[in-house]
Amino acid sequence: MSSQAAAPDTTRADPVRRAVIANRMRAIGRRMGVVIERSAHSPLLVEGRDFSLSIYDHEGRLLEQTEYIPILGYATAPAVRKIAEAFAGRVNEGDIMLHNDPYSGGNQASDWKVAKPVFHEGEHVAWVVVNAHQSDVGGAVPGSYNPNATDLWQEALRIPPVKVYDRGELRDDTWNLIMSNVRLPVVADDIHAMIGACNVGEQELRQLLDRYGASVWKATMEEVLDATEALARSFIARIPDGSYSAQVDVFDDAFDERARMPIKLQVVIDGDHMKFDFTGTHPQTPGYVNAPMPVTLSAVLIAFFMLVEGDIPHNDAIMRCIEVSVPEGTMLNPRFPAATGFGNHLSDQICAVVMAALAEALPDRVTAGWNPLLCAIVNGRDQRGADYVDILINACKGGGGGTAGADGYSHIGLIASGGAIAAQDPEMFEAMNPFLVRKFEYRQDSAGPGEWRGGLGVETELEVLSDGMQASIFGDGVVPGSEAKGLLGGGDGELNHAELRYPDGRVHVLRGKELVSGIPRGAVYRQVAGGGGGYGDPRKRSPERVREEVEDGFISIDVARERYGVQL
Amino acid sequence: MSYAIGIDIGGTFTDFLLVDEATGAQVAHKSSSTPSDPSTAVLTGLREIALGLGLAPEDFAAQLRLVVHGTTVATNAVLTGRGARTGLLTTAGVRDILEMRRGVRSREHLYDNKHTAPRPLVRRALRIPVDERVTVDGAVLREVTDEDARDAVKELIDRDVEALAICFMHSYAEPRNEERVLRAARDLGGDRFVSASHEVLPQIRLYERVSTTVMNAYVGPVVQRYIHRLTERLAADGFAGALLIMQSNGGVATADVVERLPASTVLSGPAGGPVAALRAARARGSEDCVLVEMGGTSFDASLVKDGQVQVTRNGEINGQSISLPMTEIHTIGAGGGSIAWVDSGNLLQVGPQSAGADPGPAAYGLGGSEPTVTDANVVLGYIDPDYFLGGRMTLRRDLAEQAIAERIAEPLGISVTEAAAGILEVVNLKMAAGTKDITVRRGFDPREFPLVVGGGAGPLHAAAIARELGIGEIIVPRRSAVLCASGMLQADLRHDYARSFARLWAPAEGPRAAAAARELIAEGDRVLAAEGVCPEDREAVVSLDLRYVGQHHEVTVEIPMAALEGAADGVDEVAEAFHRRHRQLYGYSREQAAIEALTVRATAIGRRAGALAPVPDDLPSEPGGASKGERSAWVGASGGWQDVPVFEGGLLAPGERLAGPALVETATTCIWVPEDFALTTEPSGDFVINPNNGKAGVA
Repeated sequence: MSSQAAAPDTTRADPVRRAVIANRMRAIGRRMGVVIERSAHSPLLVEGRDFSLSIYDHEGRLLEQTEYIPILGYATAPAVRKIAEAFAGRVNEGDIMLHNDPYSGGNQASDWKVAKPVFHEGEHVAWVVVNAHQSDVGGAVPGSYNPNATDLWQEALRIPPVKVYDRGELRDDTWNLIMSNVRLPVVADDIHAMIGACNVGEQELRQLLDRYGASVWKATMEEVLDATEALARSFIARIPDGSYSAQVDVFDDAFDERARMPIKLQVVIDGDHMKFDFTGTHPQTPGYVNAPMPVTLSAVLIAFFMLVEGDIPHNDAIMRCIEVSVPEGTMLNPRFPAATGFGNHLSDQICAVVMAALAEALPDRVTAGWNPLLCAIVNGRDQRGADYVDILINACKGGGGGTAGADGYSHIGLIASGGAIAAQDPEMFEAMNPFLVRKFEYRQDSAGPGEWRGGLGVETELEVLSDGMQASIFGDGVVPGSEAKGLLGGGDGELNHAELRYPDGRVHVLRGKELVSGIPRGAVYRQVAGGGGGYGDPRKRSPERVREEVEDGFISIDVARERYGVQL
Repeated sequence: MSYAIGIDIGGTFTDFLLVDEATGAQVAHKSSSTPSDPSTAVLTGLREIALGLGLAPEDFAAQLRLVVHGTTVATNAVLTGRGARTGLLTTAGVRDILEMRRGVRSREHLYDNKHTAPRPLVRRALRIPVDERVTVDGAVLREVTDEDARDAVKELIDRDVEALAICFMHSYAEPRNEERVLRAARDLGGDRFVSASHEVLPQIRLYERVSTTVMNAYVGPVVQRYIHRLTERLAADGFAGALLIMQSNGGVATADVVERLPASTVLSGPAGGPVAALRAARARGSEDCVLVEMGGTSFDASLVKDGQVQVTRNGEINGQSISLPMTEIHTIGAGGGSIAWVDSGNLLQVGPQSAGADPGPAAYGLGGSEPTVTDANVVLGYIDPDYFLGGRMTLRRDLAEQAIAERIAEPLGISVTEAAAGILEVVNLKMAAGTKDITVRRGFDPREFPLVVGGGAGPLHAAAIARELGIGEIIVPRRSAVLCASGMLQADLRHDYARSFARLWAPAEGPRAAAAARELIAEGDRVLAAEGVCPEDREAVVSLDLRYVGQHHEVTVEIPMAALEGAADGVDEVAEAFHRRHRQLYGYSREQAAIEALTVRATAIGRRAGALAPVPDDLPSEPGGASKGERSAWVGASGGWQDVPVFEGGLLAPGERLAGPALVETATTCIWVPEDFALTTEPSGDFVINPNNGKAGVA
């Protein structure tokens, strides 16, 4: 090895250039992300990071992706292909396209795509794209989480691929039509930020193209894709061949609280190829508990990236060795025009079923169950008379699942966020919304016991400061059996719980999917976000650590004695 | 006679740069660090320097007019978890904010389920809730009584804390409750260190404020003790001059000021580097540079772009957030003391473990048996065992060879030479990757930046790093071994102030913002005056944190005072500057949208130009006098072992050019010029290394 130690190696020119171009592509994605993160208006984007940035080739092939939360990882590509098809031959420099339709490649009607073509010397070579969750997209309920919806139109305005800018000119007719069908001005603010991000991405990509020329850039991108494929295949080849199955249930279809809808999965590992087959999954539901295909694709890849050791680039080449199959007419591939507003949130159970299926093959890589999301989206008019919509992110972030060698992460939130969603800073939250934070703390005994315990959940109490609030509750994990599951002897995490305490003393315990209106000033919204599942036998946990956690109040004396076998 | 001296404490060495203020003559010096009491190395070094000048220690101390000091005590306290036992008094209901870190696991590794959080600086059992509340508008919803305040403080004191941090909701808007508890803490706390958030960081965002306040308390007693001990020991030796401390923001301050805000020194040492690097790059006509510094235990990379040292207010040390302005530096665990080892897969690894100063590399002969990067440099002939630190320390080549043979060469079945060359290859790739982190990953091409090299060990590795990255120009400042110490002597005094403003922006607000800025500047003036800076050397930079109404993050925009005051006359330069900056950063601006101003900031600067003469007066005028013979060194696989010419760096004349392979030695460092590079001496005395004949480093 040392024979090359000090010798100049002229053959390195290409790998260095590839590294520079690949890293610069990644830097462009991050640079675009900074625009959204720092300049957008909606807390869903700024704090919730519910957006992704990507660069595609002119045909809509994914080259580079920076997802701020993993669920948007592979959820954009089908829409970009539809945009590219829809405007084939009519793409001009300075155009900006918009799209949200779940039945033409979209993942959720609330996730809007802004795409800008990038030209080099007159040739259309790429797209820069932002996919971001909007605070309101029309439909029957502000915030567009409508648990009563039975079709798409009751949820959202449907936007097939449209041009909002043509050759650099705003098409205000189209713009006004769209913005007239959403409730909140913040949507236009955020679309401006998304357009800004595309402008920045376009500028930087053009600099890169000017520097290396389009042909070097294209050739380098092919090299990057091939290297990614090889990396993915080498990982898959290390998983023992075989067929692995599991089932995880989704609870409450928004019409029947007791409904229990299984997601069934068979994973087949065959050499360096991997197939995920969801045959047997519950048929599509009458309400909004249905996920368009891109959701399943994204969720499967989240679990895949978590199982892989080390980093692997996120681009189109991954799909060369991973196949995902979902029968049409099921909850994970519904037929037009089923409502799909809840669809993104089935990623919790999809990730869980992948982990459960592969627990036998990859016991050191899988995690115990994560706290399934239970969330409230609220709207109303604040004390200053301004309309607001916000997702109560702080309250909904429960614990992650334990894994070999590490406790689950506390207050991390849904698995599909990968721990990137920030809870709102309590002071900033009060500055932006009509609430007083009474309590927002870790919750004792919320974590599933284990040698590696689950992450802690949190307990939140928010006093409502203005009259007439409406809350749409969406999520899971409230019905016994739906909590985060322990693994290999670890215990389950605590269930979720949410309630409204009215000023007159009445307490209303909330369902997993429910719309509540007319919430008065002085009411208190209280939520427990449960902890993650534990991994391994809790009696193997270091007693010293258990004692310390009792002193800190994370574990009660009783649980220390009964579950961990530690006397205090 | 009067002297100024810069002193930078590193993990392995304590560096000194002495300047004779009359002649500009400089003396660079290194002493081994003494981690158990860092002031010992300071005192030892000063005595050694006195000896070198032929002065009695007390005469030398009496002639020292100024000591500028960078200290790692705060950094080490945070890194090792050995700061003060600290308690936190905070608003009931939100006591976990510090530990939650907003529930973000890692934004770099979204898929890494093995990633765990670092422990908080204050564990939950020492976070005491106080029943108090201020609203976002600054109204006091629940008042703290004096009795409540005393009870809460007593509860913490009973738990045996050395330091108390106080941080309540919205205290930046109305500090009354916090002040009351602060008074109780000062009354009851004795000599315990007390830190309150409205004093440390009076701005909105609880997490950043509580974390910064806690860190201030956590390092406070450690920094105070250190400064007191150092001052006493200096005084005992007869020192009566001024002591300045380097701060993380790239400026210096007096010890009094630092003791009130000790968290401002968490990056004290390394912050001197970019200041000196910029000056070296400027001499070559560049306003940009990448600075890499290799010391005994770590490798730091930082970036200067458009003449500005990169400063961040979103800093983090070991996963602990700190929002005071600090120089942006990327650190990896690779240095001269990094230990080489063979892993279970029979792969050669280097670091991150370090042999430190004691026992140090095997060649030190202090009992170290692990082979290090320094040992590899000795074995390959790059370091002369008899001229290490200018000959003050004799190294044992036999021990270096033995360590490499036993731990690396034999297990891998290769020769000692191959093993030593392999160690250098691995560590050079690591350092190149660390340099990439701050350039390529931010979208800058490292080839467009000159590489400025600092640290005692850096110049031996610079060419290999440059070759790996394709960098075409390397600058080794004449005082590269003591670069941070040199930067400290060049740095201005700098103090940052902030005040919450939180108003819709309109030109009519100009005078109000100007008044707030004037108060902050006045505060800076008072501090600078107390530090002995005369009015004509003072400067203030005012900026506003602005955003469009509804945004969550602000853009800091520098505003001339005149523009602020003139804003009342209807000329809204503030809004224009904001729109412009927003467009530049985010690709769009919204001229019709309302703007709000959240925070007024002022930075008070005390110019210390002329503190260090730019051109040392001791450069030889005639070339050709620097040769000091030849030494056998490994030139690489193609060249093998060769007798390589060795030069005394101090005797190289400006304009003199050497083709590699060559070794250039000074009392504090050694430069390796490989066969495909050439070295030129600049008029400033700095050395510039370029690829020779375009054989390497060309894209």
